[in-house]
Amino acid sequence: MSPTAFARLRKRAALFLSLLTIASLATACSQDSAKRETITVYSGRSEEFIAPFLEKFTAETGIELDVRYGDSAALAAQLLEEGSNSPADLFLSQDAGSLGAVSSAQLFAQLPSQILSRIEPKYQSASSDWVGVTGRVRVFAYAPDRVSALPQTIDDLAAPLWKGRLGIAPTNGSFQAFVTALIQSRGEAATEQWLTAIKDNEPVLFEKNSQIVEAIDNGQIDIGLVNHYYLWEVAEELGREINAKIDFFQAGDIGNLTNVSGAAILSTSKKQSAAQKLIEFLLRDDIQKKFVSDTHEYSLVNPALWPDGLPALQDVKSPAVDLASLADLRRTQALLVKIGLI
Amino acid sequence: MAIPLVYLVRRALDSESQTLATVVMRRKTLEIFVTTLTLTTLVVALATIIGVAMAWTLHNVALPFPNLSRALVILPIAIPSYVFTFCWISLFPELQGFWAAVFILVLSTTPFVILAALSALRRVDWSQHEVAQTLGLNTFATFFQVTLPQIRNSVTAGSLLVALYVLSDFGAVSLLGVDTFTRAISNLYRGSFDRSTAAVLALILVAISGIIISIESRTRSHSKNFRSSSRIINNPQLIRNFKSRAIASVVTLVYVLLGLAFPLTLLIIRFFSNAAVIDYSNLLRAALSTIIASLLGAFVALLLALPVGILVQQGSSLARFADKGVLVVHALPGIVMGLALVAFGSEFGWLYQTLGLLAFAYALLFMAKSVGAVRTSLSRVPQNLVDISATLGQTRSQTFRRIVLPLAAPGILSGTLLVFLAAMKELPATLMLHPTGFETLATEMWTYTSIFRFSEAAPYALALVLVAAIPTFLINRPDLVNRSDKYVSGEGDLS
Repeated sequence: MSPTAFARLRKRAALFLSLLTIASLATACSQDSAKRETITVYSGRSEEFIAPFLEKFTAETGIELDVRYGDSAALAAQLLEEGSNSPADLFLSQDAGSLGAVSSAQLFAQLPSQILSRIEPKYQSASSDWVGVTGRVRVFAYAPDRVSALPQTIDDLAAPLWKGRLGIAPTNGSFQAFVTALIQSRGEAATEQWLTAIKDNEPVLFEKNSQIVEAIDNGQIDIGLVNHYYLWEVAEELGREINAKIDFFQAGDIGNLTNVSGAAILSTSKKQSAAQKLIEFLLRDDIQKKFVSDTHEYSLVNPALWPDGLPALQDVKSPAVDLASLADLRRTQALLVKIGLI
Repeated sequence: MAIPLVYLVRRALDSESQTLATVVMRRKTLEIFVTTLTLTTLVVALATIIGVAMAWTLHNVALPFPNLSRALVILPIAIPSYVFTFCWISLFPELQGFWAAVFILVLSTTPFVILAALSALRRVDWSQHEVAQTLGLNTFATFFQVTLPQIRNSVTAGSLLVALYVLSDFGAVSLLGVDTFTRAISNLYRGSFDRSTAAVLALILVAISGIIISIESRTRSHSKNFRSSSRIINNPQLIRNFKSRAIASVVTLVYVLLGLAFPLTLLIIRFFSNAAVIDYSNLLRAALSTIIASLLGAFVALLLALPVGILVQQGSSLARFADKGVLVVHALPGIVMGLALVAFGSEFGWLYQTLGLLAFAYALLFMAKSVGAVRTSLSRVPQNLVDISATLGQTRSQTFRRIVLPLAAPGILSGTLLVFLAAMKELPATLMLHPTGFETLATEMWTYTSIFRFSEAAPYALALVLVAAIPTFLINRPDLVNRSDKYVSGEGDLS
């Protein structure tokens, strides 16, 4: 490059950089909205599903929301690192485990009784610092044309019938929460036995629940352990009916574990009452109804609300499990590592 | 560079010595160690061989659309590893495990070697090549005895980037189910919030990358000047026979098909099969944000790399240490760097989650990609030009501005481009540190891929490749480059 060419390049670069500065200042100004109250939300629930609810909240109350989306566990880790310096007011999580982890570091504020009383005690924190918002149930998905006899309990899946036909996602949080619950209800030795039997049945391993449902649809596997709403998610992604159905194990089987998505307020937040308003909003009857119809989740407030084509939550007969304890996956991971599933 | 290391040591010290022992000594850690090393070695070896062969072909054989081909073979590095891998396994679900990871990672890292080798090849004096051939050496012998020694340093530096990429990659290994350190570390963060154990594993990773880096710098030969000063030929006599051209075209085409066209086509098909609506204003805003943040990041990286490069030139051992440190940190998974910067940045409320800190994070994460380019480009400026400038009464800073910088510019630019490309697709640190509401193409894409909506992620992935294509194409334009060769070949490389 000749010196003159370089000088030209430098001029252009200077022009470009100043344009950039102007552009970034403009974006910064446009974000600086009027002096309405604003709360910062860390959301582990994906934008696609939760944003319509949050927009409705702002429209109703005038409280602006600055939402940062992320993976629930990563956000929980971020909250733990930020500690008392966190700019967040409220944490929305996909699962109880992430809430439990932040709760045990005592970073959440106590919730008022008018919020706690909306939700059954088994779907909230024992230390009253987080509540469940919606319910999500573990189920099995299967290909109706290739599976005739449905499994009744998770133990049936260890039968030779299912050799090489089962899909699981052992690194996924939802599967690990299920194994943690299994350790709680049956003990570590029995859990190890079950996992070993499943491993010997040569399951196909996936990273995500949605991949399992897609693999059932495309014929790679015949059955898989997933959360109930993935059936709709995959059908919507592919834009067609898929060759997969879901069903529950028999009443009370640990395979029907109900986990919750939930919310908590940071104790360092200076906007406690605005944050409480958001949780109250999410637990309101009409909003719960919208969750059921839009995201196909179970309502934790009104037992009369459940997704189309599925049984009611009380008929699923999920086993009693302490959801907060699902935060500590150390034992679970150690077990999965020992058996060689992760 | 000290920030992540201090963070890791602090976290690792939190753990009880007993957990520490069980984590480090358990058999699983040994397995992970072996897998990580074998994977890295294999990918580096294959990517280096393929990359050098392709760069040589692109430089020596008369291909149709030479400029376009040179840009296209670089572009696979603009596709995030997660999306790239997903595209492959959605068509071939049986693609799983170690060998699948080797395949995917070789495809996505070869451009680092191609880029390094291509820029070094442009500096080679081809009159020596002609001499070798008149002395009866065939093409292969000429390559190994004349060309290779001249491009070796650059190629090794490219291979080092490949190694560090494999060590820090999460997308491909997690989707294909291969247990490397990065996957184990990320799973610990996701699963048990066990930050101390994760920190211990991350420190082992730092040690591995330290060893690899010292191997690289030991194999680096001291720059030999093969140039005859009287007559320099920078452009080789292009090989034009039909057979060579056919083979070269097919090889290039196959690579572009596998590494670029195939994943993009799959995304486009997914997109049309679902006929999702594109929110153009959002797409444009995200593209602008991506360009702003990544450019700032690349700019900060350059500002930090320049003094290091200049000081290493002058023999400062502190600068040499910084140079190595930057590379070591480059092997860490994004989530570790993100959390380290969260722990650091959240102490300063006014700085936290601002564009400034995000750009700084990018610079820290990817400076390794530019620091070498800056160092070698500066070292290639002939001392006699600097001396002449001094005798003509120019001050040192004038000489630097008017002589050194213009001559080193192309090389510095290509290093800065790599920082830009890497920052564009960075995800874990971006999610933690971006200013609220400032969504980039990578975060928007993640919004959809995290809930499996690949059809809606497609426009963002395509925009990412388009944004990456423009600077890649510019930097590969030989007419821009040749102008500098008239003066002296200060052409950049990555060593």
